[in-house]
Amino acid sequence: MLEVNGLSVAYGAIEAVKDVSFTVAEGQVVCLVGANGAGKSTTLRTVSGLLRPRRGEILFRGRPIHHLPAHKVLATGIAHCPEGRKLFATMTVEENLLLGAYLRRDHDIARDAAHVYELFPVLGQRRHQKAGLFSGGEQQMLAIGRAMMARPSLLMFDEPTMGLSPIMIQRIMDTIGVLRDQGTTILMVEQNALAALALSDHGYVIDLGRTTLSGPGRQLLADPRVREAYLG
Amino acid sequence: MTLDRPPVRHRKPAAPELPGPAAVLLRLRAPAAAVLVLAGALLPWASVVLPGGAYPDLATLQFFDAPHLVTGFRLHLVLLGLAAALLPRARKPAAIGVIAIALVHMAFLTGLGALSIGGPVTLAAGALLLWAARAEPPRPRMELKTPPPAVAWLVLLVAFAALLWLVSATLTAGGQSRATNPYGGAEFLAFLGFGLAVAGVLSAYGVLAWISAMSERHRIFSIAVLLGCALMLPFTQAGTGYWMTVASSIGVYAATAIGLNIVVGLAGLLDLGYVAFLGIGAFTAANLAHAVPFPVAALAGAVTAGVFGVVVGSPTLRVRGDYLAIVTLAFGEIFFRAAQNDIGGLTGGANSIPGIPPINVLGLAFNEPVGGLPGGSRYYMISVLMVAGAMAVLANLRRSRTGRAWLAIREDEDVARAMGVRTGRAKIVAFLVGATLAGLAGAVFAHKLGTVGYESFDFSESVTLLAAVVLGGMGTVPGAVVGASLLFVLPEKLREFSDYRLMLFGLALILIMRFRPQGLVSSS
Amino acid sequence: MATLAQQIVNGLVLGALIGLIALGYTMVYGIIKLINFAHGEVFMVGAFGAHFTSAYLLPDAMPWYAALPVLCVAAVAVSVTVAVLMERLAYRPLRDAHSLAPLITALGVSILLQEVVRVFYPGATAPLPFPRVFVDSQLTAGSLIVQWTGVLAVAVSPLLAAALHWYVERSRLGRAMRAVAEDPDTARLMGIDLNRVILATFVLGAVLAGLGAVLYGIHYGQIDTTMGFQNGIFAFTAAVLGGIGSIRGAMLGAFCIGMVKSLAGQYAWGGAQYDYVWVFVLLILVLMFRPQGFLGRLERVRA
Repeated sequence: MLEVNGLSVAYGAIEAVKDVSFTVAEGQVVCLVGANGAGKSTTLRTVSGLLRPRRGEILFRGRPIHHLPAHKVLATGIAHCPEGRKLFATMTVEENLLLGAYLRRDHDIARDAAHVYELFPVLGQRRHQKAGLFSGGEQQMLAIGRAMMARPSLLMFDEPTMGLSPIMIQRIMDTIGVLRDQGTTILMVEQNALAALALSDHGYVIDLGRTTLSGPGRQLLADPRVREAYLG
Repeated sequence: MTLDRPPVRHRKPAAPELPGPAAVLLRLRAPAAAVLVLAGALLPWASVVLPGGAYPDLATLQFFDAPHLVTGFRLHLVLLGLAAALLPRARKPAAIGVIAIALVHMAFLTGLGALSIGGPVTLAAGALLLWAARAEPPRPRMELKTPPPAVAWLVLLVAFAALLWLVSATLTAGGQSRATNPYGGAEFLAFLGFGLAVAGVLSAYGVLAWISAMSERHRIFSIAVLLGCALMLPFTQAGTGYWMTVASSIGVYAATAIGLNIVVGLAGLLDLGYVAFLGIGAFTAANLAHAVPFPVAALAGAVTAGVFGVVVGSPTLRVRGDYLAIVTLAFGEIFFRAAQNDIGGLTGGANSIPGIPPINVLGLAFNEPVGGLPGGSRYYMISVLMVAGAMAVLANLRRSRTGRAWLAIREDEDVARAMGVRTGRAKIVAFLVGATLAGLAGAVFAHKLGTVGYESFDFSESVTLLAAVVLGGMGTVPGAVVGASLLFVLPEKLREFSDYRLMLFGLALILIMRFRPQGLVSSS
Repeated sequence: MATLAQQIVNGLVLGALIGLIALGYTMVYGIIKLINFAHGEVFMVGAFGAHFTSAYLLPDAMPWYAALPVLCVAAVAVSVTVAVLMERLAYRPLRDAHSLAPLITALGVSILLQEVVRVFYPGATAPLPFPRVFVDSQLTAGSLIVQWTGVLAVAVSPLLAAALHWYVERSRLGRAMRAVAEDPDTARLMGIDLNRVILATFVLGAVLAGLGAVLYGIHYGQIDTTMGFQNGIFAFTAAVLGGIGSIRGAMLGAFCIGMVKSLAGQYAWGGAQYDYVWVFVLLILVLMFRPQGFLGRLERVRA
């Protein structure tokens, strides 16, 4: 479904991503793990069109998308739930969800919002409150809900569990599992490799801007090199 | 805001090899263009007889009878055409020069309704040459070895003498009076195009870098020679009373622009009311002119302006970026209004302050001719010394601790503060130094003109100074001088366009920010 | 007493007029953090657009209620065209440029527009009379005189601001504008085309400036090429005073500025020749001591 080949991305003279390649098959959960600064977030930001690659290509359903601006990437069906949630803090829950559905012109938006409120009842109860007033976990729920509102076929999560309590981490991971079961393909970036790889069909290890290892999630979890480097 | 990083441009792959005849034709582009330039230079440019000036006496092919009599812009075209034919690296700059010369003269001749084939042919030749030059693969940069000191000194001497000649020729290009030469504006602009092309050719062959490397190595020598050359200007063909007056005005504005360059270019603080400091210096000196000798008045002007600089700069402790620009604009407007209304009887209001005596040293008034030199040449020398001093201040500050602090503030003020830079102090110092320089320039300004009125310090003057800094290159040492020279010579030369002056400055600001934000004088 | 009342009326009218310009400043600054110096010029060209229509296109004997809408349309059309061109050609290429570049460009655009009109518009080197396409009479109460055009301005301007506020709060595009103002990168992840939203912001500002230009023209009866720059500075001051980025704040600030100029011209030191100066003094004080304005949030203030 998504194919990234030989991706290289630079901020000015600094090459944050040097050579990253991976594929995501339809219906899978795929995880990129790696240390801080390995280039995972940069990779996702490039896929979603916020950054331009210096080299390499990104194919979605066989068509190149690396030259598209972000709003056109979203229109192809790739949504990105960014690192640090990035909610619109001065807007209400409802407005945040409506922004998630910005590109849609159909009449099911209200129904999809109701679905999000069903999935996360706390959001439904506080739908007219400003998003900035929410706790970290609630904000992450809203960020996920907002990304779902675009009805993506591929949903990318950047550090969805960052700064959350263990219970909340489990809750988020469960939600991601539910999304997968409903047919959404998932690409995830996580430092919390244990939880992420356990959920993933396939994993890639990114180190200093390069993909170094790959394999099914559970196999990577068992790999001594991965265990040593990321799981301690 | 942070959006896309600038996209990385992928270089277009070289055009595929074309088969036989087409490839030959493509390779012949450059020589053909060079020949066409030569032909264009010799063809008639005007369709009717235009007496005097740059255009031929008769609109015929008479130049084929006597090609050795080719002068003026035609000579420049011939030189550029030869350069394009013989020196492969010279093609691009030569093409730009040819196009500039052709466009300028075509515009003027079209305005006169006398356009003939010479211009269009030359323009086409220039375009063809540019096309050929752009298609060539990039060449590695030329590097020339630094010669031993004795040779280097000689080269520097020749180079600076050539510069002096160039400046003098530029000033006098096209003459000074519309009465004697109605086409002076065109000649001057075309000469600028030629000068630009020559500089481009020298740069392409690494000559400019070579000279600048030598002058960097022999700093003291170069500065002395350069200063000497600048002081020699009254002895060249530009040594008339008129050009000395123009040149000393340029000097005053150049010194002011250098001060602004410290504030804007080095410290990154946009000041939109800067001309007020020039005004404060001028009014201070004007009020003191009858009471104290010039050096005291100048010092007083500088100090007063410096004090106001600190006052205007003090909001920088609280206000940043765009908001600071607005604060400085507000201060500038307040000054203008106050001066207009003769605040405290200090500015003369609508009557200005007239009758300021010329600078008088040892009983010798500066406006009178001395020896073989025209009047005004000593004002010119004073302004040269002032500009040299300002440049020295700028160059030294750039390298100083304060200069590094400014650089850090310009890049990111929060980071600078976090790294222990005393940002508040550094910003105030920038305003202080900049304002002091402007105040000093203002004192000379007042004595030179003999009259100071508030109209000389309105917002458009601040804009012009800013345009000079931006045009020359923000933060560079010679930038403000080059920018100020261009912006204050051009209106002198192009009187018929005086109504368009500000319009063109506005356009220049937009275009420079868009296409060459580092300014004209910058290697990067 | 009568003078005071008269000055208050004058201040209210001036406030209503610069409020319409201030809205454009506040929206553009809110969304791309650019002080669009040239916004005052958008207002100015609108006035000349209306003047041109009236002087060269409309028949002389047209009743005012027929001419006024036409002039409004003309002014808005010219203002919008200029605003769109300047965004596309001057500002958009600089989206990623270093911090001084957009501001210097804005200054360049402002001067360019002013000079183009001054040099090329017939007769624009001096103030031009603006057609009085409204009830050309006045209300009098004792010695107090209120022009009907002033009443119109004071009535229409807050209504337009309220409409703008409603639009930004309720519409899809308004939501997108607020999203871009808050976090452009994340807004892009929502599928928002930044360039379109920014352009739309310029267009909205230009519509209000164009309408303001006609109201200004019919009230003061004459226009000139510097009206944009001067009133633009007032409007910017108003936008900052009210809290830049805030629509209600811009209106509130504008009325304050109108009052200050009007009352200071009457009562403060220096009289009418210094009224302008007091506005600037206020501007400096506000920027220094309360840069977030009345209604702004501190984090909006740019580093």
